[in-house]
Amino acid sequence: MKNWIDLLYVIDFISVGILLSAVVLNTLKRLESCIKAYIFNSWLLSILVFFVAIKTGNLHLYIAAFLTLATKGILIPMFLSKIVRQMKVTRTVEPYLSNSLSLTISGILVTIVYTSLREGILVTGFSVHVLKISIAVALIGLFIMITRRKAITQVLGLLFMENGLFLAGFSLTFGMPIIIELGILFDMLMGVIILGVFIVQIRRNFSSVDLDSLTTLKG
Amino acid sequence: MTSILYLGIMLFFVGAVIPLISVRKTKNYAYILPTTGAVTLAIFGAYLLFTPPVNISSISITPVLEFVFRGDAISGFFIFVISILTFSVSIYSIGYTKSLANKGVMGFLFSIFILSMYAVVLSGNIITFLISWETMSVVSYFLVTFDREEKSARAGLIYAVMTHVGTAFIIALFLILYKYTGYTDFSDIKTAVKDLPDAIKTVVFVFAVIGFGTKAGIIPLHTWLPEAHPAAPSNISALMSGVMIKTGIYGILRIAVDVLGIGPEWWGIAILVIGAVSSVLGILYALMEHDIKRLLAYCSVENIGIILLGIGASMVLASNGLYKLSAIAMTAGLYHTLNHAIFKGLLFLGAGSVVHSTHTKNMEDMGGLIKLMPYTAIFFLIGSISICALPFFNGFVSEWLTYQSLLFGFKSVSVTAKVVAPMGGAALAFTGALAIACFVKVFGISFLGMPRSDHAESAKESSPSMIAGMAILALLCLVFGIFPDSTIKLFSPAVLSLTGAEYMSSGKNILYISEIASGLSPLAILVAMLAIFFAAVVLIRVVGGKRKITYGDSWDCGIPSLTPRMQYTATAFTKPIRIIFKKIYRPRQDVKISYTLKPLLVKSIKYSSEITPFFDRYFYKPVANFIHSIAGKVKYLQSGALHLYLGYILATLILLLVFMS
Amino acid sequence: MENLQFIIIIIFSPLIQGIIRKFKAGLQGRVGAGILQPYYDIIRLLKKEMVLSTVTSWIFKITPYIVFISTIVAAMMVPVITTKITTKSSFSIMGDVIALIYIFALGKCFMALAALDAGTAFGGEGSSREMIVSILVEPMIMLCIFTTAIAAGSTNLARIAEQGYIFTPSHVLALFAFMVAVVADTGRIPVDNPDTHLELTMIHEGMLLEYSGKYLALMEWSHYMKQMLLFTLAVDMFFPVGIAHNIEPSSLIVSSGVYSLKILFMAGMMAIIESTRAKMRFFQLPSLLGGSFVLAVLSLLTFIMIGK
Repeated sequence: MKNWIDLLYVIDFISVGILLSAVVLNTLKRLESCIKAYIFNSWLLSILVFFVAIKTGNLHLYIAAFLTLATKGILIPMFLSKIVRQMKVTRTVEPYLSNSLSLTISGILVTIVYTSLREGILVTGFSVHVLKISIAVALIGLFIMITRRKAITQVLGLLFMENGLFLAGFSLTFGMPIIIELGILFDMLMGVIILGVFIVQIRRNFSSVDLDSLTTLKG
Repeated sequence: MTSILYLGIMLFFVGAVIPLISVRKTKNYAYILPTTGAVTLAIFGAYLLFTPPVNISSISITPVLEFVFRGDAISGFFIFVISILTFSVSIYSIGYTKSLANKGVMGFLFSIFILSMYAVVLSGNIITFLISWETMSVVSYFLVTFDREEKSARAGLIYAVMTHVGTAFIIALFLILYKYTGYTDFSDIKTAVKDLPDAIKTVVFVFAVIGFGTKAGIIPLHTWLPEAHPAAPSNISALMSGVMIKTGIYGILRIAVDVLGIGPEWWGIAILVIGAVSSVLGILYALMEHDIKRLLAYCSVENIGIILLGIGASMVLASNGLYKLSAIAMTAGLYHTLNHAIFKGLLFLGAGSVVHSTHTKNMEDMGGLIKLMPYTAIFFLIGSISICALPFFNGFVSEWLTYQSLLFGFKSVSVTAKVVAPMGGAALAFTGALAIACFVKVFGISFLGMPRSDHAESAKESSPSMIAGMAILALLCLVFGIFPDSTIKLFSPAVLSLTGAEYMSSGKNILYISEIASGLSPLAILVAMLAIFFAAVVLIRVVGGKRKITYGDSWDCGIPSLTPRMQYTATAFTKPIRIIFKKIYRPRQDVKISYTLKPLLVKSIKYSSEITPFFDRYFYKPVANFIHSIAGKVKYLQSGALHLYLGYILATLILLLVFMS
Repeated sequence: MENLQFIIIIIFSPLIQGIIRKFKAGLQGRVGAGILQPYYDIIRLLKKEMVLSTVTSWIFKITPYIVFISTIVAAMMVPVITTKITTKSSFSIMGDVIALIYIFALGKCFMALAALDAGTAFGGEGSSREMIVSILVEPMIMLCIFTTAIAAGSTNLARIAEQGYIFTPSHVLALFAFMVAVVADTGRIPVDNPDTHLELTMIHEGMLLEYSGKYLALMEWSHYMKQMLLFTLAVDMFFPVGIAHNIEPSSLIVSSGVYSLKILFMAGMMAIIESTRAKMRFFQLPSLLGGSFVLAVLSLLTFIMIGK
């Protein structure tokens, strides 16, 4: 029993790291560092899954941890860096809002999540903290998608959101059946690849990856 | 016995597939399959009328999604009505579709359309009903836009919008029923609905009237009828006008009468008033139409009104505790439902033949067709006499019963009902007189006199199968007209299950209502007429002797050669009505005179006149404008910026988090 | 026996027409034709050869018969001198007063069709106007009938006549409306002028313009019968006092006497109305007929409100 509580403590600690990496994303200027934040986030996520796997001894959780690491921690960041390297010019992110304002808003988002989710919400799963953090991460991911101009940062926001949702689902159910996890990961990989292709295409057509130029497509 | 149903359904399915895969020349003979399918389903309908409710099948997809098909006497009656019309329309279609482009698709949609109507009346729960209902609407939409002309596309759009407005109300009423009773099955809802508060029942009732009324075409929700019915091919118009709008009546009966049970008196009065308004305005607008199919569509509005007069009287009488009389009124309503399906089907088929061979829908370009298309003319005449409720065809019997039911309204307790019901009778009399004027115009202008155009002059009689299709319906008009008691016995189980009482005529071939000691015997009238006819012929021969008949020109005031252009036109025929009822029509006239030498020598005078479509202008247009302006404002939400859309999502999520948890 | 009373109407209807004409002549200071003149007219027409238009179809030929027989069938349903026709086997069960109105309408409908058949403008005009008049008249007749039917508790004419209602407020109102309806339906001044063949004023005659010979005879005779039938209807509905309730010879004789007095009174009324009124312009008719429609509505409301 005691062992379990200790592990929970570790898990909570890791999840706070996940949240931090998401919040920090708001302040990062260079695309490479954004991708690094994502790598950090994904690694923490897979470690968390790994710990829970140790605790419960479920084989499929080990697999899930490994797959998370492989795709989110390695494959996708590699792909993203490659795209960034291809687009030589713009390596800085140009947010609509200033750093301090977006940090403040992220803080408000976290507060809203923490105050509005009550304890009773967790019916199954292992930690209400992890749940709250995961939802906060998802919202911050969405927020980043809103405030960034570049298509590539949109993708990053989406990936953070997905991490948050993965964590939320995991914290509620101890991991979904392996087939579903596989499906989601595969989906993500495909999604990122397709988005990458789109970004390159957008750049080719509009000579920038600034999404504002897409508004001209409106009817 | 359900095996007969499955056989019928299989026939329709095969009938749907075969036109798609068969060779082009034989595609139109595939209509033999729906014809036989209609026969089997007519048997099944009759079976349902005389047995307790049958559970046909329930297929459970998921716990929520369950298809339940159940038949009772009410569905049996409607199945019977659909089958009768399907039978003759299918025969008619063999000839009618011969020259059609896209025969295969037509055959497919035809069978699926009919199947969906069967499914609607057999549905046993909410989900099944809604899915069948939507299938029916969607398939009929494709049939309306079948021509692929711009006009039909517009008609289809109006139809699609109106039918979905109706469906929205239907879905809302089902959701309300589900929320307050917790059941989706109609029979469960029926038992649970008794405990509901009156306010909820009233909301359900109002939604049912609006939702199903849109399909039935009550005024002011009728706007799609005169657009959609003329746009569809004529065999489909016959089905749409004959039976599809009856599914609206079925819905009102099923929800407002069967499920909700006897309600407060004002429900019935509301239905009565709607019926009276629809019948009078429907026929008034019909009179002004020169497009033969649009005219018939407006006429459907009128007849739906008459059906609702019967149903409304029945509801009023039931809430006053007069169950026996309520059964008579319901008999009147159902009888007219049956009759309207038959004669309106016949008239649309007749109009279809005429349009088919003259290539015009405008009555002003017809004329003299009685000599060129003798069979079509006589069947169209029978249809016209029936729809005018003249003796001894079927409309006469049902309108007579409706009059009696409205007079029973006097026996109710409240003064409102006492006044409204006989006024409904006056409205019915008014409608009757207008209907006669309307069909004198239709028949007189398009079939009598001299051909008014080259199209009309070169008209040819339709193919045998088309004539056969019309002949069957014409015969039924006569049969249901002179054997009313047998007809009523056929569907009295449906009346029994709707009102809890039954109307049984005492006597053979006589409609006798013992409460008021009066009766009607169309057969006796017919026999008497025939007897007098022979007596008259003999008398004239005896008194007058045999005289020769000289043929000459019509009276031309001594100036030779009358031309077809000198005939009374449809516009002229109805002009006095346009003047007398100008408050309703708000007519606009336009006279253009062009001179060779002003002001002495007139080259030509062009007179055109149009009536204001009252509901389109004063009801739908403001609504449409309002929606348009709202949409114009909402447009700014749709900026095209991805970030803004994401922002909407974030805002929604946060709101949900704050308020829902 | 009681089923044969309709023969009275068939036989005596031309006489009534003759009497009305005679009355009118008297009121207008003329000698006028004899009261048997309509009989001579009918027989003369029956013996004449016919001229038909080549444009016409079978509708034109069948119409005189339909008008004729539908009028006679309508006559069968009306109690003329006795109300003892309520048993089920009897003619009265063929139809009630509502059916009667619709049987009239059958004849009217065919007449309007036949008028359009010859393809002339006069026929069309007559047909159109006849339809307008019937649109305005029919609801009015129905409301009058409703008042009496509700009062009697039956739409069976024999039952209505048996009640013997006279001169309750509602019946008086209904009677006035009904008289206007009779004037309009029989094509008399101020609605229509029965004596003219001037095309612009005519309604009923316009429809008969193409008819000749025996067809015209049938049409005219039907018109006389319809007129007498409407009188009889008014008598049965509004002052049925004196009508026999059985078929005893003595009461039948009394009833016949009373009936002929009442019909003569009606004929006199018609003659007076026709002689003292001017024909109205066609588009003034709605105000006359609308006014009497209001009377009919009032009569029904009166009955509902005060119960008599």
